[in-house]
Amino acid sequence: MVAIEADEVSKRYGTETALDRVDLTVEEGETFGFLGPNGAGKSTFINILLDFVKPSEGSVGIFGHDCQADGTVARERIGVLPEGYSVFDRLTGRQHIEYAMRSKGADADPSEILDRVGILEDADRLASDYSKGMAQRMVLGMALVGEPDLLLLDEPSTGLDPNGAAEMRQILREENERGATIFFSSHILEQVEAVCDRVGILQDGELVAVDTIEGLRESLGGGTKLVITLDHLENGVLDTVRTVRGVETAVSNEDSTLEVTCTNDAKMDILVELHDAGVDVVNFRTEEASLEDMFIEYTGRQR
Amino acid sequence: MTWRSIARQDSALTVSARSVKYLLSLLVLGILLLGYIYPVVGAEPYTTSRFPGFAQGLLTTLVPFVGVLLGYNAVVSDRESGAIRLTLSLPQSRSDVVLGTFVSRTGVLAGTLVAALVVYPFGELELGRFLLFVGLTVAFAAVWSGLGIAVSLAVATKRRALVLGFALLFLFVLVWDTLENALTAGLSAAGLADDGLPAAAEFLFALAPGRVFERATAGFVDPSRSLGEAWYLGEWVALVLLALWIVGPIGLAYARFAGRDLS
Repeated sequence: MVAIEADEVSKRYGTETALDRVDLTVEEGETFGFLGPNGAGKSTFINILLDFVKPSEGSVGIFGHDCQADGTVARERIGVLPEGYSVFDRLTGRQHIEYAMRSKGADADPSEILDRVGILEDADRLASDYSKGMAQRMVLGMALVGEPDLLLLDEPSTGLDPNGAAEMRQILREENERGATIFFSSHILEQVEAVCDRVGILQDGELVAVDTIEGLRESLGGGTKLVITLDHLENGVLDTVRTVRGVETAVSNEDSTLEVTCTNDAKMDILVELHDAGVDVVNFRTEEASLEDMFIEYTGRQR
Repeated sequence: MTWRSIARQDSALTVSARSVKYLLSLLVLGILLLGYIYPVVGAEPYTTSRFPGFAQGLLTTLVPFVGVLLGYNAVVSDRESGAIRLTLSLPQSRSDVVLGTFVSRTGVLAGTLVAALVVYPFGELELGRFLLFVGLTVAFAAVWSGLGIAVSLAVATKRRALVLGFALLFLFVLVWDTLENALTAGLSAAGLADDGLPAAAEFLFALAPGRVFERATAGFVDPSRSLGEAWYLGEWVALVLLALWIVGPIGLAYARFAGRDLS
């Protein structure tokens, strides 16, 4: 079954296009990362899923229920951590969880959930006194109420320290193992790389890539990065390397080190070419391209 | 039935606010004071049926103010802060929010009114008519808390809601009579109408919520008062208008709110 299905979704504000014909399918059981720089349209997309915002064109559905026409039903099976929320002024953390339980008609132990997200000690304090990170944990707790089939999280690690972000990822993994589909947005790459089966990259409202992390690496020319240490760097060496077929970029960032991104097949050719040019290679190693390189590659391409 | 969980949550939060406690105490004090001075300054006979005529002025002023102040920030403050995003992330619709909030705030106001009206028996008790009067007062309270909530649905900031709410109070409570008098005097001076307003204008002025409430209580509760002869000033018409005032504004404001982007 399909967890999220977006069909040619566009959103325009006046002349500005926030979301441009986004087509996306997220299968049940997946952990899907929605990646993009700030302002790319990630939140607009999630806001449409939650019916905070009406699409200008196209439609989105959650488990087959249209998010606009049938929003309440669509939200019955999901847990949400929205963006730009604020807590209820005069409610404690525990009362927030209880509110979510009543609304979802779920039977749960608030203490257990509060403990899981790590704010049990502060459960009976007013949530308006919480730090951003604690509020974020509490709302994640509200999302977990009732064992939802889909977790929809907008920048979940906002306000969390590295430790908290790691705990958050751990919870997401556990939920995914339980069978829940996870859909979350982030502009932080490690977050996505660490837990996601698939990623979608959004740039200026357009979905420019949807693939597995492996797939993205492959589509970027194998994504191999070659780091070559030379005896000394002569003029023209970079140009020599750039002439080799399969080389995408070549830069020297230290006095005698080259960083070359290229297809897998090109590695040996580069070394041969350097040798033929009479350049002494002291050392070389290959690195896998990180998601960050890919991200910059993708989002930088269109600028 | 998720509007119930919203209503429950909203009423708990509403009555726990200090400003609301002051506001409601003011209403209770006003009504009790009126109840105590009625036998002193009112005219014979002192019965619960005639009390509405005596209480009219205070109720048609105080209830609108309390209703609007209770309702104007209902939805808009959550919308401004972002708490409404938590509410609407749960399986609850915008109509649940509107209905739940309306039931909650009207309930708080109506509960206070009923408590205040029942505490003191205002002279000789005529139970049936008295209950009718309490019912009509609750309906009048629903009109104004509904107007307050309508205002909070229609705009995007609390400040605008407050301004709009006070504009309604100003028009319907403070200057309505003056406007009517001015128009009557003007028409009379221009020689266009000698005895009172033309029917259309008379009907228009009779539409204000306070006037509607007055005619309904006078017609149904107080045997000593008589309404105008025109059919459109009758108590049944007033009752229908009262119902329209309850559902009309909030319905229109909901239609506007339902189609809006919340960001």
